[in-house]
Parts: sequence; C-alpha cells; structure tokens
Amino acid sequence: MDKTASPEQPALGPRLAGIVGPENVATDRQVTKTYEVDGLVPAAVVFAANTEQVSQIVKAGNESGASIIPWGSGSKQAVGPCLSSADIVLCLKPMNRIIELNTGNFSVEIGAGLSNAALQKQMGEHRLLFPLDPLYLETSTIGGELATNASGPRRAAYGTARDIVLGITAVTPTGDIIHTGGRTMKNVAGIDLCKLYIGSWGTLGIITEAVLRLFPLPEVSRSLCLTFAGIEDAFRLVARLLISPLTPGSVELIDGVAGRNSAPIGDSPLAEDEVRLLIDISGNREEVERHLKEISAMAGANQVRHIATLEGEAATRAWNAYRGAHQAVLSAAPSAFQGKASVPLSRQADMFKAIKEIGQKYRVPTGIRGHCYNGILYPYVVAGDDHAVSIIGDLKKAAADLGGFFIVESAPLPVRKSAGALPRRSDRALMKRLKTEFDPNNILNPGKLGEGAD
Amino acid sequence: MVKESFIKELAKILGRENVLSARKDLLAYSYDSTPERGMPEVIVFPRSTAQVSAVMKAVHREKIPVVPRGAGTNLSGGTIPTSGGVVLELSRMNRILEIDSANRRATVEPGVVNLDLQNALAPLGFVFPPDPASQKSSTLGGNVGENAGGPHCLKYGVTSKYVCGMEIVLADGEIVELGGSAEDTPGYDLRALLIGAEGILGIVTRLVLNIVPLPETSWILLAVFETLEDASQAVSDIISAGIIPGALELMDKTSCWVIEQSISAGYPTDAEGVLLIELEGLGDSLDRQAKDISEICRKNKMRELRLAKTTDEKAVLWQGRRGFFGAVARICPQYVVMDGTVPRNMIVPALRKVGEVAEKYKVTIANVAHAGDGNLHPLILFDVNSEKEKKAAKEAGKVILKVCLDMGGTLTGEHGIGLEKLPTMKAMFRPADLAAMHRVKSVFDPDSILNPGKLLPPEEDGPHHEEKEAPA
Repeated sequence: MDKTASPEQPALGPRLAGIVGPENVATDRQVTKTYEVDGLVPAAVVFAANTEQVSQIVKAGNESGASIIPWGSGSKQAVGPCLSSADIVLCLKPMNRIIELNTGNFSVEIGAGLSNAALQKQMGEHRLLFPLDPLYLETSTIGGELATNASGPRRAAYGTARDIVLGITAVTPTGDIIHTGGRTMKNVAGIDLCKLYIGSWGTLGIITEAVLRLFPLPEVSRSLCLTFAGIEDAFRLVARLLISPLTPGSVELIDGVAGRNSAPIGDSPLAEDEVRLLIDISGNREEVERHLKEISAMAGANQVRHIATLEGEAATRAWNAYRGAHQAVLSAAPSAFQGKASVPLSRQADMFKAIKEIGQKYRVPTGIRGHCYNGILYPYVVAGDDHAVSIIGDLKKAAADLGGFFIVESAPLPVRKSAGALPRRSDRALMKRLKTEFDPNNILNPGKLGEGAD
Repeated sequence: MVKESFIKELAKILGRENVLSARKDLLAYSYDSTPERGMPEVIVFPRSTAQVSAVMKAVHREKIPVVPRGAGTNLSGGTIPTSGGVVLELSRMNRILEIDSANRRATVEPGVVNLDLQNALAPLGFVFPPDPASQKSSTLGGNVGENAGGPHCLKYGVTSKYVCGMEIVLADGEIVELGGSAEDTPGYDLRALLIGAEGILGIVTRLVLNIVPLPETSWILLAVFETLEDASQAVSDIISAGIIPGALELMDKTSCWVIEQSISAGYPTDAEGVLLIELEGLGDSLDRQAKDISEICRKNKMRELRLAKTTDEKAVLWQGRRGFFGAVARICPQYVVMDGTVPRNMIVPALRKVGEVAEKYKVTIANVAHAGDGNLHPLILFDVNSEKEKKAAKEAGKVILKVCLDMGGTLTGEHGIGLEKLPTMKAMFRPADLAAMHRVKSVFDPDSILNPGKLLPPEEDGPHHEEKEAPA
C-alpha cells in the first residue's frame, strides 16, 4: 500500500518559493532527510509565516496532487498510524506569535507554531495558567498538541483540549480558511468544527491559530508522592478519591520499571516492583491543607510504604523526572514500544495486572505510567520486534475485554506498520466519509486516520 | 406530504398508541416559546433504538422531514416543524439505564429529564453538572442537542464536557456508537459534531455521561446593588481577581420584580442589580472566598449582602432564578429572549448597550445573565396583539446580537440558532465557514431530512451580510 515519496514535481518547487520566498523552502536532501517520517523523505520542506501562506501551499498541493504533512516541532510525527505518502512537509514553527492576550476574559489567541513552554512562561508572568501539559511541552507546538489531542497530568482537573480551546482558525484540505468557535466561554452557534479539528491529526485541515482558555495560577501548590508495594492498594486509594469531594489537580501513577531509567521521581528510590502515585494539589491554602491531610490519611489506610510532601523545586524536579521517564525508558531500549490503554476508571487495576501478565507470558519487562483520574495507562513494553505484534494483539484484547481499547503510540516503524491500525468501530465509516468530503484528493496526512482495518 | 399509508406504516412499527395525527395533537407540537409556528403531519413516540432506526429507515425511503424533539424548551424555535413531516418525540425513551459512581458515569436514554437524573444522583453524592434553568422539564437528549449550559457551567463547563459516549441513529437508520465509557476514543471526535447540532446530524438514542461528586459545601451570596452597572462591574472584578465561584448570576430590577410576582424568592424589588453567587467546594475554603467576594462587591457600592447556608434558604434563592422564564410567561406570554454571549470583560459595556437599545426601541427588557460567563439573557417583552411591539422587539433583539458580535462575542451561548437566529448566522460566519458546516451535514444527512431549515442557512442564499468584511 505504501508508496515512496514521489519525486519533486517540476513546477511545485518554484511555486512554493513564490508563496513563502525561496529562503523558506528546502529541497536539499540533507535538509529534507531530517524530516523523514515513517520511512518517507519529503521532496520539500516549507516554512509558512501566516494562514494565507498555508492556504496557498495547500491549494498548490491540491493542484499538483502532492501530499502535505503539517509539522510543528515533530514530536508526535512518529506516533500512531503510518503515513502512506509525504511529499511536502509544511512547518508552522514561524507562526509562533501571541496574537492577543485578554487577561480580563482569561483567553489568549496564538499562532499554531508557538511552543507550549513559551506560552506557559509568558502566561506565568501574568499569573495565568494554560493547563495543557503534554509530555513534550518543552518543544511541542500548541498547533501540534491540538491536532493530536495531546494531554498531560492536569487533565484530571482542567480536562483536555476540547475543554480548553475556544476557537480555531484552520485551512481546510482544499485551501479554504475557516474560523470556528470564537473567544467566549460558551458558544453554540453552528456546528462545532472547532472540536472536530482537535485530535484529527491534521487529516481534515491545518490548525493555524487558536484561542485558548486561561486560568488563574493557583495560590498554593503541593505534591504528594506516595509509594505502594502493590497495585491493589494504590488503586483502592484512587477509588476512594474518585468518589470523594476532594479535587486533586492530577493523580499520576508510575511503576518501578517505567521509572527505572529516569531521575528520581520524588525523594526516594522506586523499586521495580513498587508503584508510586504522584498527586498534584493546587488551590487556596485551606483547600490544599485539607487535601494533604485527608489523602495522607487515605494512603495510611491503604498500606502506603512511603509518603512525601513536596513543594517548590523538589516538586518541580519530581514532575520533570516523571515526565522524562517516557523518553528515558524508550531511549534505553531501541526495540521498546509504548501504547495507550484506556479503560473505565474502576478497571484500571485489572488493566495494570493484564499488562504485567502479558509481559510475563512473553518474558519481557513491562513498565506502566498512567492518568488515574482518566482511566488511561501507558504500557512500555521492552520487547524484540518479533514478539511485539502478538503482544499488541493481547493488549488490545485485554483492554477490549475491560470495556476500553488499546492503541500503539511510539514504536519502531515495522511495529507501527503492522499493528498501528485504529480499532474497528461502527463510527469508522462516518470518519472515512468526512475525510473524503473534506479532502477529496487525500493530500493532508494520508494514512494518518489509520484507514487500514484492524 | 405524509400519506395515510405511511402513517399506517409508522403505527405498524411503533404501535398505534405511539403515533398521533389528529389535528389537536399536531397543534400541540406546532409551537414553542418563540413566536414561530409550523404544523407537523404526524408525531411518533419511539421507545427503543431499534424503533428509532426503523422509523428513520421509513422516512429516509420517502424523504420526509423529521424533527427530533425532547421537551422543546430550546428557546430558539429549533423544534418547530416548519417543513411539516414527522416529529420524532423521544420523551418516552426515558430510562436511566445505569449509574456507576465508581466509574463516574451514568448511562441514560435521551428522554430522561435533567432533574430526574440529578435526583437519582444526589443520594449517591453525585451530580451531572450541566443544569439549564429548564432542568425540570428539559431532557438530556435535548441538552446534548443544544449543548446546554446553566448557571453552574461557570465552574464546571457546558454539556460537551460531560458527554463521554453516545449511540446515534443516522438519517438512513444506521446505528452508530461514538466514544464510550473509556476516554480518548481514537479517531475523529464525532460526538463534538452531534453536541449542539440541534438534531440536524443524527438522533441521539443513548448517552454515557460523566458525573462528578457533589461539592462538600455550598453557600449562596445574594449581593444587592443600586445600579446595574455596579453589579456588572462587580462580576467583572470577581472574575478578573481569579475567583471562580460555582455560579455567578445577575438579575436586574425588572427580572426581580417579575420573579417576586409569582415565586417569592425574597429578592429585593427596588434594586437595579442583584447578584446570586454560589460558592462551592470544601467547607474550609468558603469563608475566605465569601470574604474576598464581599470585599469586591463592597468596592462596587453594594447595598446589602445576604448569605444563605441552609438547604432550604438556598433552594428558595435558586427557585427564583430558575423559575424566571416561567414567571415572565405568566405576566407577558410573548417575549423574545436573546442569548448573545460576550468575552467576560465586556459584560459591563454589553449590558449598558442593552439598556440603550431598550430606550431606543421603546421596549421593556428584563435582564438576567450567566454573568460570570458573559452570557446575556435579555428578555424583550411585547404585547402579542400589537404588530408594532412585536416588530420593535424583534428589531431590538437583532441589534443586541449585533452588539454582542461587535464586542467579539457570539450569537448564542446556550439556546441555539434554531429558526430564530438563522438570519443572523451570516453576520457571524463567512461563506467558507458555513461551507465546511454544510460538508459535515452532507456526510451525515445527504438528503437533508433531519430538522431541515434549522441551524444552517441554506447554501445558495444570496449575498452575505454586508456588515461582515469579505475574507481577504
């Protein structure tokens, strides 16, 4: 099915240069090679400075039949289903402006190429918080995060992009510029295309600008670091929390295997057979104190081995180490892969155990990280390629049996190619029809919708 | 045109008792709170997904228009059958299928009334946060169709945040599952398209909703101001101080008076602006929140502050605000309600403009607002027997929406476009925006049989609104 990148279209290079200026088009293989994705080297890499340029590039792509791969920082390019073609990489990094900050409305309008870290930093100066905190936020662009519906620990308290994005400007696959949503907290005018673009992986259009919700920075933040010998105890605590009126900012879990290659997560080492909950508690002083007291008591009632309350630098270090664990464990084993299991909240312990059992069956170590307030576990499987496909099959079955699903995220290319398809569901036909209707020439991120049946 | 044989076919699918076609029945489904009217040809009451699917297969074959309907409380003419055809009334699919507090999910049929779900959740210590003022009668399917809000959406967000999964029936009768009980279903977020689509893309037949634990404590502050400007400035100051109360509602003098005529909520009737502020959270934190808020109110020349802590006191205060639309209808059965929403820092100038419009068009406007969200609800009252007043009211409504758009706002925060605001869509959206929406519509309902003539202005419909610049 996969075709290799087509040779540069004769008329396309000059046409792209005409749109963005020759200095913003690279066709030299030494440059284009660094944008290789899914084994495909693009014929050209183009840097767009504004929405109008994006529109013209997409129109040019349509006229010449060249596929276009929207690109932010590239941090998610090797995640999920594989592309079938990649002629032009369209990089939005230059669109990195804060267009309008409205502190009274708690909203900010930005260019899609702005990095999350740059936005956080500037908002922090106004004592404002942009709550989206996915893994690669130091480099990843807001546009890329919205397109991939990336999220992080704070989703427990603030939700995901669909709850945070107020408006989106996008270029459709046929080059039209559309504005969806707006800048108000509530908006039900028309069909909500804004949320359709979130998580559409650049297959229905290219997000070029967005209006985002901001929140006041909490008065006080503390982190609780709780270590357990057994998964049952950790998830019993989570279950208690979930039905209580307490409102932690994030409730994250990591086991010793997932954490073994990273800096210490908290103030003490984590053994391979232990699990740790890292809980953010943010709010006003009184709330934070109550949370610390009650959660510590709940932990005590659930055989916690070690409790630490972290603040300031120590808390930041712990969270950075937690976030860094992902890359650390994947870098340490080139054949490792990482996936995402999402199950109902009360089935997380079962999913955790299933992952471990599958690992034992194939005699491969498995590490696990997760968002306990969202039923999401990220297994890291340190497996040779020969077993990966069977392991993935087992993981998919285990998650489905628990009422959820499993998908492959980061994995060596051959693994993603053979097992990267998305679950077969009754809504797939509608998705394909939408893709065809919006992108009749299939030029935007072809293959990324995971069209291949499972 | 619906033939007699077709009505018989529907009766065969649903049972005769679930099909109505007598004129008196049709009349009952021909209107809502807006001045618009339209006669359906037959009303059907399916009781299962399979029946909805069977009905849709039949109407799809005959290309007959269908208006899906819950309780019809949308306030924008969205469920008026302007093209005749079938009204598909979902109120008999009203079972709560499962409440699973450990998983924070409730699974319901679309006809369950919002308050019925709340009443089932409360004993378990849970709540479904969207709480439209119509929650006593509006259905959850309708709430989803309109992406309903409500006072507590200030803190908790609107309906779209609380729909995890849905089962829908497409225009051709196909049954499709979107999302589920687990989060982050891979692929496009098709739920997002259905939520707020006013029934033009599909019919929701089952919902998996997110529920959350009830807050430990809630108090209500009633802050009374001599001028509307002071009250709205206080709202603005509370929000920009970074305080997020559970709810922050504003009522003007006319509204308070109207409410007191039928509900006796104990609102003052001589003050120009009243704020109803609900504080929620852990008991420990409310004292300081209350102090901070009353300090801000005092700076804005607050005249009086009341604090309600008991369940009964709080219930009475909420009853007033929640009963507002009904109370108005008792005094003046005909009104135009606008639902324009502005950025939160524009609430003061927006309300000032609404006052100016009332003067200019010589109409009585009663203002309530989900003020913390910038969501206005000016009610423009008119005498149904006076064509002149009706015209002035409609005109004033249009001007208010224009004011909202000019301030960077939107036509509707929660009531929907429906029929009423269709003519204003082109003032907000450009041709390319609407074309993209039409693409979505054509994927879901290529024959345009689902609630035709609502939400989306027809594609070839003359030149766009001159007030909007052409795209560059």
